[in-house]
Amino acid sequence: MLSEIAIIVVRGVAIGSLFAIIAMSFNIVHNATRILNFAQGNIFILGGFAAYFLADNAGFPTWLLMLVVTGLVMAVLVAMQGWLTLLPLRGNSAEQDSWMISTVSVSVIIAAILMLVYGPFAYSVGGVVPAFRIFGVKTPGAFLLAIAAMLGCYFLLSWFLRHSFTGLAISALSQDFDAARAAGLNVRGLQLLAFGISGLIAGSAGFMVAPMISVSPDAGLRYVLNGFIAAVIGGIGNNTGALIGGPLVGVMAMLMAYKVGGAYQDLASLIVLVVILMFWPQGLFGRATARRV
Amino acid sequence: MASQHDSLSEATGPQVSLPLGRGRFRSDGLQLRIGILLILLTGIGPSLLGNSYWEHTFQLVNILIAVAVLQNFLFVDAGQKSFGQGAILGLGAYGLAIASGIHGAPLTLGVLSAVGAAMLGGLLFALPALRVQGFHLGFATLSAAIVFPQLLIQFDDVTRGINGISLSVPALTKPLVWGLSGLTLLVTAVPIAALLLHYGIRTARLGRRMRVAAESAEAARALGVRPGAMRALAFMIVSAGTGLCGALYVPAVGFISPQAFIIELSFTLFFVVVVGGRGQLLGPIVGIWVIYIVPNVLLVQLVEYRLLIYGFLTLAVVIAFPDGLVGTVEMWRRKRFQRGGGEQGFRLAPFSETLEKVAPRPAPAAAAPPILEVRGAVKRFGQVVALDRVDLEVRPGEVHGLVGANGSGKTSLLNVISGFSRLDGGSYSFRGRDVTRLNATGIARMGLGRTFQTPRIFTDVSVWDNIQLGLDARPTPLDPEMARLAERFREVYGEDNPALLAHGQRRLLEVIRVVFADPALVLFDEPAAGLAPAERAEFSRLLRQISTRLGMSVILVEHDLDLVWDIADRITVLETGRVVASGPPQVLAQDPAVQHLFVGGAHA
Amino acid sequence: MLDVRDLVAGYGDIPVLRGISLHAEPGEILLIGGENGAGKSTLMRAIAGFIKPSQGSVVLDGKPLTGLPPEKVARSGLRLVLDGHRVFPELTVYDNLRMGVAARPDDRADLARSLEEIYEVFPILKERSRARAYDLSGGQQQILALGQAFVARPRVLLCDEPSLGVAQALLPPILAFLRRWAESGTAIVIVDQHVKISLPYADRAMIVQRGQVLLECPAGELDRRLSTLHAARQNAHAER
Repeated sequence: MLSEIAIIVVRGVAIGSLFAIIAMSFNIVHNATRILNFAQGNIFILGGFAAYFLADNAGFPTWLLMLVVTGLVMAVLVAMQGWLTLLPLRGNSAEQDSWMISTVSVSVIIAAILMLVYGPFAYSVGGVVPAFRIFGVKTPGAFLLAIAAMLGCYFLLSWFLRHSFTGLAISALSQDFDAARAAGLNVRGLQLLAFGISGLIAGSAGFMVAPMISVSPDAGLRYVLNGFIAAVIGGIGNNTGALIGGPLVGVMAMLMAYKVGGAYQDLASLIVLVVILMFWPQGLFGRATARRV
Repeated sequence: MASQHDSLSEATGPQVSLPLGRGRFRSDGLQLRIGILLILLTGIGPSLLGNSYWEHTFQLVNILIAVAVLQNFLFVDAGQKSFGQGAILGLGAYGLAIASGIHGAPLTLGVLSAVGAAMLGGLLFALPALRVQGFHLGFATLSAAIVFPQLLIQFDDVTRGINGISLSVPALTKPLVWGLSGLTLLVTAVPIAALLLHYGIRTARLGRRMRVAAESAEAARALGVRPGAMRALAFMIVSAGTGLCGALYVPAVGFISPQAFIIELSFTLFFVVVVGGRGQLLGPIVGIWVIYIVPNVLLVQLVEYRLLIYGFLTLAVVIAFPDGLVGTVEMWRRKRFQRGGGEQGFRLAPFSETLEKVAPRPAPAAAAPPILEVRGAVKRFGQVVALDRVDLEVRPGEVHGLVGANGSGKTSLLNVISGFSRLDGGSYSFRGRDVTRLNATGIARMGLGRTFQTPRIFTDVSVWDNIQLGLDARPTPLDPEMARLAERFREVYGEDNPALLAHGQRRLLEVIRVVFADPALVLFDEPAAGLAPAERAEFSRLLRQISTRLGMSVILVEHDLDLVWDIADRITVLETGRVVASGPPQVLAQDPAVQHLFVGGAHA
Repeated sequence: MLDVRDLVAGYGDIPVLRGISLHAEPGEILLIGGENGAGKSTLMRAIAGFIKPSQGSVVLDGKPLTGLPPEKVARSGLRLVLDGHRVFPELTVYDNLRMGVAARPDDRADLARSLEEIYEVFPILKERSRARAYDLSGGQQQILALGQAFVARPRVLLCDEPSLGVAQALLPPILAFLRRWAESGTAIVIVDQHVKISLPYADRAMIVQRGQVLLECPAGELDRRLSTLHAARQNAHAER
């Protein structure tokens, strides 16, 4: 019994870490632009594919090198996507929600390309961190890596957003857009940087945890949805909320899988999402202050 | 004010004259006719020619057109961004297939079950839509569309899982006359019905109110519309129609399985609407032809690439032609043939002239109880106290000026009175009833109207439609003179583009709208800002008539102090959230507390 | 230094400014008054690049700024302090000041000296340098907003309603600070609905009405010019 609980908690927290990471990659873009990138889950999966083709069962140095390469490539790709997404939003365009359409179409494009190139198969990737035992339960090393990645991402982002000049500028952008422009902040550059950082986060996370996920072209949607749920629970834009929301969603999903079977995981997510949106649309933790318009 | 007389005579000179210009503001009627023609051609044409390949292709295409038309309505007219319409279609199809295909229920029962299942699904979408909008709703509906086929597989004892259900209805597929089967006629009729429904709702009161709710929840509530009810209703209408399409889908294809209703279908329907042109009646038809027919039929070897093509096409359209294919043509047409705007864009004169002819309402007794009574109102925003124990009394038929510097709390007070923000302390009553806890819609329905600092003018509909929103909210029938005036407005402004109106004219348009709604008390938030001198004079005259002829009470927030002092019966002066003076204008003009409000500090 | 000519601008197709010209020279304060809705804020926003003017030009030291986005305008040495003491609420006071450097990307070393100067004038900023900006009072936030602009060392400073939401007692030190700042060689334009409070600190005054310049004169003459106007208006009332 205890070991079952341990499995549920460890697996839940590990899976949830992925949701939290995706939520944080949502947050940074949302804070800088008010855009939620629907393609974020596919970026994450792209990272997984990169791991499969570049570093499957590789030694640590290769793995590390490829991780850096993947992260940087994803950052550039998503920054380019951001540039495209922001194009129609210049000035006082009436089409302020065109980003929903363009990010959804990018998500479809990535999934379609993956499907064309790799077919509808799930690839499994060998890990670089060996398995270990928790409460006598053998646990894949990637689980540990996922949790470490979440914490690392959280602390690095926190430091970046609170202490570095550029990070502070992105925070400033989210707090008062006009005042940021009046102060001379390079708004468009910062927004593209935020997109790039989100790509870096999601892409390299996908790479690192590839051994514990099903790397398949259609998996992106599931991660983007669960990442969104984690973000909503934590309050969109709030990384600390995501840090709690992600593992919460993960543990709930594992509990569901344990009680009624894994096939109902997505249904459970949908129900959680609808309930959260109906009763706590601002999230359980909310945001300290709203942005001025 | 000598100039006032000149401007008045100038204003009474020409009556509303038809401005030069051709064409209609919207081409909805034309698009509707073209759309019906296209559906008729493609729907029954192939059968008449005896081409069964195209017959089957267009049966499916026309069902999808009907679904896309409904999604277009949901997306634009009701403002609900749903990514999950494929799942609703699937619910309809499975509703029929399970009832009639598996359990052998009669077709009528099967269709009922299809519509019922789809509406249940719509309810699931509508529930979050009551609380959230935009991307929240997008994710919720997307998530539902992902889960739906999984559930079909999971509950295979009900749905037969991946084995699918076949259902053939020979009675429907048998040719009746000239090679036309019942099914062919139905799948031709349903998209036409969907188009007519879209057009019909759009041109009706319901459609106007839905659109207001979608574009500005505030404006909707100020007109007594409940945005949540509008959204829920839109989802229900669309789901019922989509369910019906699902029911038709089954006999058209003969066999359904979860594979037919995967997320790809929802994405396709969504892309169709965007590529065709959001909000254009003809959009879904053109969209389907481009998105669906081209890769699926004409370029069969590309079928593998179709999702990729959809994605790129949609991305390109959003970036290069955000209005979509039909929308881009429509914008070009509108620019070329638009009319309205200019000095004559919108004028008050005909309105105030008509009011002269309306019999004045009997003046209320001096002892009549106040229509609005605010007692000790306190409103805080964080540490800032916006309203600090404000008392205010407005008598029936009175024009009450509310003045004060920026940030003195005028707009906060208006927002509290109209129910947009809640008091932190104190209370107020309207028409003798305590409404401190009542919401904006409820207060508006009790007879409170308001305008906004930034006028809520809807540029997607004509100037007349903007006025008509007021009439839509009117609880009482129009006086015959006023009805004639409304008819004249319809003739003159029916095809005018509100985007061409100057800022001041937009305010006047909003003023006319709210007066047509016949409120007992109306709040004007800086109505004269941006008006030319002649328009100001005209506006003052209108304000007096509103109170004397129509018997409405007015609260007037205005920075043009000359105007306030000219027409207000009483004035209340706010300073940093407090009432510093209140009384008739003659008395207040002498009050030193009020002097500094005027530029330079001196005033008559 | 700042030369604005025949500016026509507004929201959408609707002009709020109908041909306004103004100029500001280093060392002086230009005070712009007028009723609310006259177009004062629109004027500030049009000069600073938030609204694209449909006609007219904005030139700073011979360099055209017309049509540039606000961040580029700020980097060219023209800094607008928005109305309503806008600061970045979740950033600390120190970080808010630091953001001022954004307007001068090539010269960030100067931050320490600018901070020292501003701390000297407003010690409260130093005392509370680690506090979040949302914890400050409205007046302190206004001081912080000005401090952030000061760190940017602009050649022209535009101040939209600096007295709005600021306790009366704080106004004299703020205005005196602006005065000294101007005297150090900066051109300052202040927009204020209550010209009376800021007038003693200004060199020239301008009244805007319905999107046009109603009058422009040395600050000392404003009272007289306004009373003449009021007298004319009184006559008009009497006639009626």
